[in-house]
Amino acid sequence: MRVPRTIEIRKMGNLFNYSDALKLQEKLASDRKMNKITDTLLSLQHPPTYTLGKRRTDHNILVPECELKSMGAELHYTQRGGDVTFHGPRQAILYPIISLREFGLGARKYVENLELTMIELASLYGVKASVGRKCETGVWVGERKIGAIGVRISSGITSHGLAFNIDPDLSYFKHIVPCGIADKEVTSLQREVKQEVLLPSDELIQDQLISCFAKIFGYTNVVSRNNS
Amino acid sequence: LKDLKYADSHEWVKVEGNSATIGITDHAQDHLGDVVYVELPEAGTEVTQGDSFGAVESVKATSDINSPISGKVVEVNSKLNESPGLVNASPYENGWIIKVEIATSDELNNLMDSEKYSKFCEEEDAKH
Repeated sequence: MRVPRTIEIRKMGNLFNYSDALKLQEKLASDRKMNKITDTLLSLQHPPTYTLGKRRTDHNILVPECELKSMGAELHYTQRGGDVTFHGPRQAILYPIISLREFGLGARKYVENLELTMIELASLYGVKASVGRKCETGVWVGERKIGAIGVRISSGITSHGLAFNIDPDLSYFKHIVPCGIADKEVTSLQREVKQEVLLPSDELIQDQLISCFAKIFGYTNVVSRNNS
Repeated sequence: LKDLKYADSHEWVKVEGNSATIGITDHAQDHLGDVVYVELPEAGTEVTQGDSFGAVESVKATSDINSPISGKVVEVNSKLNESPGLVNASPYENGWIIKVEIATSDELNNLMDSEKYSKFCEEEDAKH
């Protein structure tokens, strides 16, 4: 018998500031830990932002910070796993704040499900994406990376999440060694679809991404919250 | 493994007199994936039962490690800086994480024994 599982979706808009997102996730994670709220999923896009993980691998940023700033990008050090990456307009982001213990999921299975979510979305557009080789967590189309993952798990509650490239300005990735992998390209859904395929609005694609997530994690009840 | 005690967040503790060694269980390392980084506390840090004292990174996920007991860190396994994979390869021996001077042994009553822990893992794994 399927256990009923609810997830609440919060759409945070397409220019959600990274610091605001961190603060919101911290509050939600704390509330989730105390069972004040159900599993929650943030769906959003960021303005141009570079981020580093807990290991602080800033040797993978190829230009000085002041130059990033002059490009109009911010730089943030975070507690998530993973290496350096870029977030920006036209890149769909999901930050699930969920309790893994209630699912009986470990980090590995959780991340696999995040990968499957992006693979499923890509397949809706005829793009065959797959997981990477060992140690190359993320979603790839051939040798090109279309989706990235960086997660934090604290007391069994997740934060941070996944980033899927719909059609961001890929030149921003030139200033870093994305995810610490030097010899591979970054790509996007727009780049990988067949010529005759016209992509719908980001909003629709982001809704589809949410549906893929809900399906793969087995949520029976998906609730939207009107908000900011 | 039978004389260890276990927390429901999948850490183990081995008590010898006033001193305790702490690590994560085989179940934990299996569910984490290959550990690529371990964040260790400094010797002298106070730890509290149930609270985080460090983290491991695997598959692009950082997972907090919680202390099964309260006390003061007296030693950390610095081999994990060079060889984080010891946590996967030898979770109960060479992959130990910290050694602690115990604050109070009463807290051990809050932990599970080996049999209870096995059952706990089975129930968790059955959830999905």
